[in-house]
Amino acid sequence: MLSVEALKIRYGEVEAVRRVDLAVDSGEIIALVGANGAGKSSTLGAIAGLVPAASGKVVFDGVDITGLAPEAIARKGVSLVPEGRRIFAGLTVADNLRLGGAVHLSAPEARAREEEMLDLFPILRRYHRAKGGNLSGGEQQMLAIARALMGKPRMVLLDEPSLGLAPQLIDTVFDLIAELRRTGLTILLVEQNVALALEIADRAIVLANGEVVLSGTAKELASSDLVRQAYLGA
Amino acid sequence: MIAQQIINAVSLGGVYALLALGLAIVFSIVGLINFAHGELMTLSGYALLAALVFGLPFPLAVLVAVSCGALAAVAMERVAFRPMRDASVTSLLLTSFAVSSLLKVVFQNGISARPQAVAMPGWMTGAFSFGDFTIGVGPSISIVVSALALIALELFLRRTVTGTAMRAAAEDFNVVRLMGIPASRIIATAFLLSGLLAGLAAMLWVAQRASVDPLMGFTPVLKAFIAAVVGGLGSLPGAVAGGFLLGIIEVLLQATLPAAVAPYRDAIVLSGVIAVLLVRPQGLIPAVRVQRS
Repeated sequence: MLSVEALKIRYGEVEAVRRVDLAVDSGEIIALVGANGAGKSSTLGAIAGLVPAASGKVVFDGVDITGLAPEAIARKGVSLVPEGRRIFAGLTVADNLRLGGAVHLSAPEARAREEEMLDLFPILRRYHRAKGGNLSGGEQQMLAIARALMGKPRMVLLDEPSLGLAPQLIDTVFDLIAELRRTGLTILLVEQNVALALEIADRAIVLANGEVVLSGTAKELASSDLVRQAYLGA
Repeated sequence: MIAQQIINAVSLGGVYALLALGLAIVFSIVGLINFAHGELMTLSGYALLAALVFGLPFPLAVLVAVSCGALAAVAMERVAFRPMRDASVTSLLLTSFAVSSLLKVVFQNGISARPQAVAMPGWMTGAFSFGDFTIGVGPSISIVVSALALIALELFLRRTVTGTAMRAAAEDFNVVRLMGIPASRIIATAFLLSGLLAGLAAMLWVAQRASVDPLMGFTPVLKAFIAAVVGGLGSLPGAVAGGFLLGIIEVLLQATLPAAVAPYRDAIVLSGVIAVLLVRPQGLIPAVRVQRS
């Protein structure tokens, strides 16, 4: 469904991503793991069109989307939940959701979809009229995911959904991701918490210094010596 | 007398508020202080003049003039600012100065450096009386128009999807694009609104003075800029508050200062601005903006 070929990303002189190749099949959860600064978020940014690729190709559904504007990529059905949630703090929960579906759905479709989202995230129904900025970190993460799902994307890119959340909230968020996967959604998950990511993913790719150092099924990686020593602390 | 002064103060404040809002809308989204905003106002003034000379009925001429301001703002974005989309804020600022100077020269050489009289309908200069009070028609219309424009803008920003997207874009533009909403649509709408507001402000300004000149927009937009800064740059409620505050203080000082001190009016107003910014450096009602690298 999505393939990234020989992606390279530069910020001025700094090469954030040297070479990343990856492929995501329909209905899979792929985890992109690695240390801080390994190039995970930059890779997601390049797929979503927020970060320009220095070279390489991003292909979605057989169409080359490299270099397209973020709004054009979003319309093709790829939705990024950015790192740090970045919900609209001054807007109500309802308005945050509405914008998520603004260009993808007609008004009646958007209302129906919003109901679905409120069923999926009951906490958002409770705070429907509250400003996004007044929600707690976990609630904001729910809102960010719900907002990204509003437009019925075919693929979701999740950037560090566990970042800054209390442990029990992390579990809630990951249960939710597992549930989304059961609905057939394709997910590319960037996560520093490698143990959690491997628990939920079908396959995983390990990045270090902007390069793929290891990839395989989540099970294989969880039992590989490199991953156990470097990321799982075993 | 006092009632008349209050009406004048609110009416001047309303014009400043419309202009400051126009500056603030564009700033909140593009990060640009559009110094050519004054020329949008001037252009609308000339459009009114031309429409009246062509013999259009007054309401139609006003409609044409305001639309000209809005279209000119969109054209300005298209021609001058869109090619500079990824440029630094300084480059954008310089571009807006260039556009401003260019338009002033075009007005001076293409039309005339001298003020042109605009034939406003007679009823505009009339007044109504309630017992002891006499209230000018012009300033009253000005207040009503400003109030209606503010309400309409508020409804647009709250109730429509595009308006909601604009409020969101003021917080975090890139995330709005991640929702699939085109950047160019948001930016064009911001300029369209700022041009509409400049056009309306021009009508109110010309109505009080019955003339247009190439530098017409300079002073009011400078005041509006001060109002926007005092209110909190990029904050829309701040721009409105700053505009009314500035208008009211100016008229108040005009009416109460003794003749010997009157020439220092602007100096006194600006000292007040400095005092406000010392106490509240982010302005009266700071903008909510998430700064991102």
